[in-house]
Amino acid sequence: MGWLKRIPRPGLIVLALALASAPLIFSNPYQYDVAIHVLTNAMVAVGLNLLMGYAGQISLGHAGFFGLGAYVTAVLSANYGWPVYLSMPAALVVVAVLAFVIARPILRLSGHYLAMATLGLGILISIVLRTEAGITGGPDGMMVPPISIGGTDIYDERYWYALIAILLVATVWLALNLIDSPVGRALRAVHGSETAAEVVGVHTLGYKVLIFVVSAVLAALAGVLTAHYSGFVTPGLANFIYSIEFVTMVVLGGMASTYGALVGAVILTLLPQFLTGVDDLEMMILGAILMVVVIFMPTGLVPTLARLVPGGRR
Amino acid sequence: MSAILECRELTKSFGGVDAVADLSFTVARGNIHSIIGPNGAGKTTLINLLTGIYTPTAGSILLSDHDTRGLAPYKLAQRGLGRTFQNLQICMNMSAVENVMVGLHLRLNRGFLAALLRLKSVRAGDRDCRARAIELMRFTGLENQIDQHPSEMSYGALKRLEIARALAAEPELLFLDEPAAGLNANETHAIGALIREVAASGVTVVLVEHDMKLVMDVSDDVLVLNYGRKLAQGTPHAIQNDPEVISAYLGGA
Amino acid sequence: MFAEFLQYLFSGLTAGSTYALVALGFTIIYNASHIINFAQGEFLMIGGLGSVMLMQYGLPMPLAIVAAIVLAVLAGILIEKLAIERAATNDIVPLIIITIGASLFLRGGAQFFWGKSIHALPAFTGNTPINIAGATILPQSLWVLGIGAVVVCLLAWFFTRTLTGKAMLAVSHNPNAARLVGINPRFILMLSFALAGALGAVAGAVAAPITLTVYDVGVMLGLKGFVAAVLGGLGSPLGAVAGGLLLGIMEAFTAGYISSEYKDAVPFVIVLLVLFFMPSGLFGSRATERV
Repeated sequence: MGWLKRIPRPGLIVLALALASAPLIFSNPYQYDVAIHVLTNAMVAVGLNLLMGYAGQISLGHAGFFGLGAYVTAVLSANYGWPVYLSMPAALVVVAVLAFVIARPILRLSGHYLAMATLGLGILISIVLRTEAGITGGPDGMMVPPISIGGTDIYDERYWYALIAILLVATVWLALNLIDSPVGRALRAVHGSETAAEVVGVHTLGYKVLIFVVSAVLAALAGVLTAHYSGFVTPGLANFIYSIEFVTMVVLGGMASTYGALVGAVILTLLPQFLTGVDDLEMMILGAILMVVVIFMPTGLVPTLARLVPGGRR
Repeated sequence: MSAILECRELTKSFGGVDAVADLSFTVARGNIHSIIGPNGAGKTTLINLLTGIYTPTAGSILLSDHDTRGLAPYKLAQRGLGRTFQNLQICMNMSAVENVMVGLHLRLNRGFLAALLRLKSVRAGDRDCRARAIELMRFTGLENQIDQHPSEMSYGALKRLEIARALAAEPELLFLDEPAAGLNANETHAIGALIREVAASGVTVVLVEHDMKLVMDVSDDVLVLNYGRKLAQGTPHAIQNDPEVISAYLGGA
Repeated sequence: MFAEFLQYLFSGLTAGSTYALVALGFTIIYNASHIINFAQGEFLMIGGLGSVMLMQYGLPMPLAIVAAIVLAVLAGILIEKLAIERAATNDIVPLIIITIGASLFLRGGAQFFWGKSIHALPAFTGNTPINIAGATILPQSLWVLGIGAVVVCLLAWFFTRTLTGKAMLAVSHNPNAARLVGINPRFILMLSFALAGALGAVAGAVAAPITLTVYDVGVMLGLKGFVAAVLGGLGSPLGAVAGGLLLGIMEAFTAGYISSEYKDAVPFVIVLLVLFFMPSGLFGSRATERV
């Protein structure tokens, strides 16, 4: 087993192999569709975990960034005729700027006040998306042009799956690198003791702002991809309930565990698939999962399981 | 040689009550200085003022002749200020050595892009950082607890861990807030020896402490506070024989 | 002009009293445990929708409302006993998540057992509007205002005149000292959830003829109550009442004079502004971390 230690990131390789081989068991477009949802949710969860799991700052508003990202690229490409390769990065920039501006006052808060402020921000975004019907199409939503390569529009789920899978692997790689660096240590110290971090020279507010922006941009990226993939956006994308679902993914999989966030995203996205026929139970089950996990597995699935395996850490 | 720290007419009030009032003193470079006083004399408030956790209501604090007004604690750390805490501030989500590594933050490549891409400089820096942190844990007598989780460590060990972390930032001026509180006689003696070693390495140490034996053993200079004001300042010998100090401690207060 | 102003004021006060009751629920639990109960809005839903459903099972309205209140009290006690008490943590984030889980559970349960359609509870004393200086007010609004006032007075009496109420205050000020004088903090915590459940259900039932009621009516009402509690400075009962009324009035005036579409945005804009510029609320005092 010694050779395993030589490989820099065994988990990442396992993830890449799993994503590459998953299509072998997919037999229809619907399964690709579900898989793509898993991947975009995972992208949000990995980012939110950087903020919540590592830096210890709660956000109940990340669906707002997801929805805003989706709408900015939708509006720029559909209403203003921007090419998609420009509207997509523009959406990320818009969300990054908004997150940066709002982060300073928001992250001076902590605990319940931070929860309230992020929640309020998310809800405000969804209200604006629903109300500014002249730009966003209002509650009914709007059509979004597809991505086109060399004049050919891409609709095939397989291409989308490949694109988003590659982006997710890159995201996970970058997130693991970040945590495993002085920046990551500073973030974890902010969680552990802000005062202690501050007196050894860590600009705690600066790091909180940084990771807030990073996690917002990852949520926006997932939103942008979702918009062009599905060809349609509605204000529902920014719904408060999705913010809660993203938090649930992080908590269920395990705070401060990147792979935990992935596992959480997989379970929570697939859950409705197993509940077809009893759809009405979904919300009750989601609520029960949240309570049971926090009460009986406060560190989440992956860290709890990792502790059972000797030598396992992340 | 100029003073490393000077306070001029420093005042801090909480809701009209002066926790520190009109306090002026200097700390000369080098040596070990102690701040003592009965409970509620304003020692912890003073240390929080000096390290930027509180902002003064009036007066000024000069660090090597530069006014520190409005500087956040992390800025003061960049200017060579370090401290430990009376109520331990250990990151319970990190291992012992990682706690010390946080102390080395300012010495490392902190670039965001470099971290994202895990450049060679980051990897090399982290290796050196860990080695240096282990060295400091050895210096503070924690060589057997490198990768331990803080929840498994004794109270005395955590106090040392705080000192190791503070030293990692290579401070010129180090505040130790009650390092002996909660320790037994042997542990206190050992902490005294450690404090002397730290001072010998060229760090100016300011000690806030209740244990008089420790204070009188290690200090070169003692500042006595009472009701937020300066009661006396001098050598341990002079302080021990100061009638005002004696009456403040023996119930005159 | 004045009639219009008065009209907005009436509707603002009516909505505001509901928010105030929800905010009081948040405050009581917060004081007993420093927990923000995100399921507070669901107590409202149980009060309103529960009354409607029990009436459909054949109960007369007063009995149905009482039964719905009992149901909400039970829900509160169960959340505390089965979830909060078992989570051995003082960390804020997990506790927030537990109560969010409880709110999803209750909302999902209501959806599953009672369906998704919108219901109206009949007004207590008819729907003939009362004319005051050119503005009209529904009799039900008077019920909301009146019951709100009675509940606030009862709470004030409870906290200042009864031993149990004083014990709850003692726990909020200093849990350890309270334990030393023989107060059982677990009992106080359970009581606070029961009381918050009752408060929420009362608010939900009296407001239901005006706001209508549906399985997810608690989401917005709960959030607005939370905003009101934060506005008032978390933990201050008087602040909660003031915050609730203020919020209702500002919402009504925004809807009337500025934009009815952005009415729902008002609480969140206000709370962000307050948090940015007065981080401990309009009436709260700032706590400093001791290091």
